[in-house]
Amino acid sequence: MLRVIAERVGHLVLVLWVVATLTFLMFRLMPGDPTLNFLSPSFNDETRAALMRSFGLDRPLWEQYVIYMWQLARGDFGVSFLQNQPVSVLLWDALPNTAVLTVVSLVLAYAIGIVVGAFLAFRRGSAVEGVAIPVALATRAAPEFWLGMLVLAVFAFHLGWFPTGGAVSPGGTMGGVWERLGSADFWWHLCLPAVTLTLFLQGLPLLLMRATMLEVLNDEFITMARMKGLSRWSIVMRHAARNALLPVVTAFALGLGASIGGNVVIETVFAWPGIGRVLVGAVQASDYPLAQGAFIMIAFVLVVMNTVADLAYAWLDPRVSVGARR
Amino acid sequence: MWRPLFVLAGLMVPMVAQAQGDPIRPLTIITQPQAADPREYQAAQIVAEAWRKLGLTVNLRPLPGQQFTQVVWYERKRWDVTTWQMVGRPERGDPDELTYNLFVSANADNGYDFVGYINPAYDALAQAQRQELDLAKRKALVLEAQEMINQDQPYGFMVHPKNVVAFNKSVWDPKSFVAQAGIGIRSTWSWLNVAPLGAQKDVILNSVAPPTNLNPFNIPGAQGSWATEMVWDRLMRVGPDGLPTPWAAEKVERPDPLTVTVTLRKGMTWSDGKPVTIEDAVFSLEAPGYGDKSPMYKPFVRNISSVTATGPDTLTIKLKNPDAAFLISSLAKLNLAPKHIWAPIFEDLKTKPQTAESIQEDKPVGSGPFRLVKAALNQEIVLEANPTHWSKPKVSRWIMRIMPNVEAALGALKSGEINFLADYTGDPQILRDLAKANPNIVVSEALDIGFRFLAYNERRPPFDSKPFRQALSAMIDRQLLAEDAWGGAAEPSNSWVSPALEAWASKDIVKRVPASLDLVAAQKLLKDAGFVLVGGKLHYPTGVKETTAPFN
Amino acid sequence: MRFLRGEPFAVAGVAIYAVIVAAAVLADRVAPYNPTEILRANRRIARYLPISGDFWLGTTSSGMDIASQLIFGARTALQVGLTAAFAVVAIGTVLGLLAGYLGGWVDKAITRLADVVLGLPFLPTMLVLASLTRPGTGIVVFTVTALLWPNTARVIRSQVLSLRERAWVEAARVAGCSNARIMFVHILPQVLPLAALYGSVAIGWAILAEAAASFLGFGDPASMSWGVMLQDAYANQALSRGAWNWFVPPGVAILAMVLAGFMISRGSEKLLFPKLGDN
Repeated sequence: MLRVIAERVGHLVLVLWVVATLTFLMFRLMPGDPTLNFLSPSFNDETRAALMRSFGLDRPLWEQYVIYMWQLARGDFGVSFLQNQPVSVLLWDALPNTAVLTVVSLVLAYAIGIVVGAFLAFRRGSAVEGVAIPVALATRAAPEFWLGMLVLAVFAFHLGWFPTGGAVSPGGTMGGVWERLGSADFWWHLCLPAVTLTLFLQGLPLLLMRATMLEVLNDEFITMARMKGLSRWSIVMRHAARNALLPVVTAFALGLGASIGGNVVIETVFAWPGIGRVLVGAVQASDYPLAQGAFIMIAFVLVVMNTVADLAYAWLDPRVSVGARR
Repeated sequence: MWRPLFVLAGLMVPMVAQAQGDPIRPLTIITQPQAADPREYQAAQIVAEAWRKLGLTVNLRPLPGQQFTQVVWYERKRWDVTTWQMVGRPERGDPDELTYNLFVSANADNGYDFVGYINPAYDALAQAQRQELDLAKRKALVLEAQEMINQDQPYGFMVHPKNVVAFNKSVWDPKSFVAQAGIGIRSTWSWLNVAPLGAQKDVILNSVAPPTNLNPFNIPGAQGSWATEMVWDRLMRVGPDGLPTPWAAEKVERPDPLTVTVTLRKGMTWSDGKPVTIEDAVFSLEAPGYGDKSPMYKPFVRNISSVTATGPDTLTIKLKNPDAAFLISSLAKLNLAPKHIWAPIFEDLKTKPQTAESIQEDKPVGSGPFRLVKAALNQEIVLEANPTHWSKPKVSRWIMRIMPNVEAALGALKSGEINFLADYTGDPQILRDLAKANPNIVVSEALDIGFRFLAYNERRPPFDSKPFRQALSAMIDRQLLAEDAWGGAAEPSNSWVSPALEAWASKDIVKRVPASLDLVAAQKLLKDAGFVLVGGKLHYPTGVKETTAPFN
Repeated sequence: MRFLRGEPFAVAGVAIYAVIVAAAVLADRVAPYNPTEILRANRRIARYLPISGDFWLGTTSSGMDIASQLIFGARTALQVGLTAAFAVVAIGTVLGLLAGYLGGWVDKAITRLADVVLGLPFLPTMLVLASLTRPGTGIVVFTVTALLWPNTARVIRSQVLSLRERAWVEAARVAGCSNARIMFVHILPQVLPLAALYGSVAIGWAILAEAAASFLGFGDPASMSWGVMLQDAYANQALSRGAWNWFVPPGVAILAMVLAGFMISRGSEKLLFPKLGDN
């Protein structure tokens, strides 16, 4: 097992490096002048050159690359063009909000998905299934912002039960992560985006749980248990569900990575001050250092979670492990 | 039977082709993406349809923000027509800035004259009004300039938009808002004067976009400026009537065209407790000129030749050239910054590539009526009233919420999450309907100083032809644009001087667009200039080849 | 079509596709108006008209017929969806085939490449690319292709791994068939149905991605797609004016098309989650 971990981690570092390099190239090779948006167009060329210099954009590409990699290795993402603050400060401020939104929604989605999925497997072929599955698929198939706007229209604009956006009430303080988590105001603001994201995420665990449950239910040991006279429901919950959880757990780790990046739309709809929103705002305003930093951070979370999922799978499933267990 | 005809037709084509020039290439109107500005996009759609009636092929091409600026401003030979806007800023209450910058030929290469309009007669007029200190004579010059542009039509003016805002009158005393000419009640004067009716003493307003960093040498975008104007004082402010009014200065006098004397208000303090001195004032007028460390504010001090303190609270400014608009364009623009904080910063910057704009103080020090207590990216800016200011606000905090979603801002106004809708880019009719259904909400509309227009690139034929530009402009149905694209929250425009500036606006200039809305007259303009319609397609005059590549 | 038997979901999915394809093919004849024509009432623009006999779904803020836009939108949807799906399937299948059959360094290289690509977040990558180049459907198709092929490749690879051990492959090899011939003539037909199922999911992703790009301001308003329609409705505050006739139909159309893909591919749930299917 240790060897597997070492191998995967080594692989992880390699992938991170390639992703970081790709990001660098993507942002440097684009057409246009990155200083445009924060310069009044009436400035002369000299002033523009001075600004290019101040951001190190006048150096040769390879030199910029070396500096970029060196800074990245130390967790330094440079300085935002427009906010004039270190990108890392802005990102670390936003990341917890995204993490909370993602984790809460994923946990909800998986809780619902697992229970409903198990139930549907149990009631295979029934009318309930005929309705539930298309509904579950449909919430996944709807455009996120459309779903989000409908949720906003109903629960915020018309009923007024929830705030229309943001993470805290006007003038409220948003302290550290723990302070946020202890604040009722924060949770109240979290409701609508989290519900929308949950709707969007629940289809996968539900279908996965149902499918693996069906497989497990056909296995021999279930028949054995049934012969022992255990009730159907307790068989399902005690034996089958436990075995069916394996792929679901792995999917959770993957989902965490993927959805941190996939939140851009929901964060924009609900004005949730997370990292996706930082990315969208920075891209729209051509704040390259900030956009680049946000992009890398999202990509890194994704790559790390991919590896975690790989490891979890290797650990949980004896079939893929390299003879370490069994 | 048909074969000889066919041959004949084959012979005919080159013969006909000799009677006119090449067909005009497909023309492209660059716009902002619909997502960024639905009204402008719709206006461009309507105009494109009208121009097609002249026999032109017209395409729309939306470009996202940065590419839009890049192409229009820095690739000046590349595009045909673009939508553009000049926004209303308080200091544009004097028409000098736009009159001069937009159309003088000196600005054609890389300045504000991005359409490449070149007319020596106009240059002389623009210069003359700038140096004319006699108000009546200057007005006449500005009117003459507007008439000249009306004939030349370097722009297809569309509309002067109205600022549409709304507030909650159960929170704020409606009578306590102050409307500023060309801006409306979303003005600094309102924030200084507005009176709360009940327990809610915080102004909570929305902004669509997040501002950049706030400091006295940075212009942090339109919305950010609302905050900086109140955190840092200025010697003068543009008053509600649009005229320069002494603010941190007690008195401002102009003994001769090249001299301005200022008497500083006594007893002001910085937010760190130190007094505001005449040295601070001198520094604030000089600092933007130090090296290239303050590119955004440098243009406003370019005409200053010297600033000298002449007493404990008096100073004298000497100008290089007479400048009629100096009080508005410079004294009401430059922020007062504490020398004890910023002199060391400028000293430090000398050896660094950064500029003063990029500095972010931990606790910004200003002398203004509000103090900055929080600026969180994509969330909010929080200002707190300065209780020791000589013009103490009646509210306790001023909170600007960043809300990218217009629908959400409307919802927030309804639910009371915000009590002033300051940044509304949506349909005004929806807001009016909302106010009708909700008696606590009051809508306020005010004509803006700015304007929206289509810029014709005079560097590219056929836009170098005056009759061609006139014909295009004639086809723009400005009333329709104001009513339908801008939902009634706009006035038709045919000048850069908004009717909001009553003293300077040219009355009824909209009605004097040559051949206005008359397809036949517009076609005649083209025909007289040699353009020919062949099979419904407009061609250049005889002998003119199409040598310009279409925009792509 | 045999796989449809006993699969009511798949039947429903195929039915939805049939409707969309019909709309796309017959758009010129079925749509009552030119979808980009600014309709007038007297001199004014016929904007925000409610549902009526003349305008089946009313008109937009620009005075364009919503029903016609919806019908023509099917064309863009199919273009974007099918191009992206075809590209994903083609690249994914070929690379999966090569990796699975040839093994060795080819396999390693392709697997590594797939890992890197899986490390690029989907929407953020599309946003960044769109902001750097010309926004529009091209970039959507490109991103979908460039980022989604690994899913297909992985499944095809594991499928090929088991197929190549079969006796008939061995027989072909002994008979002197070249590797290329075995891969593309013998094995390919066996894995194509699986790849096609992936394609139907990729159609969905492409449509959703296009809608998201439009919403964030990186779509191509000149194209007549459902995503652009939604953006148009949103930007013009269809919600605030209660213009459900404008805001709901394009969303439902997107939903239906994506759902159809899911339903067809539901023959195996693992398809929705490829990482778990291969080992």
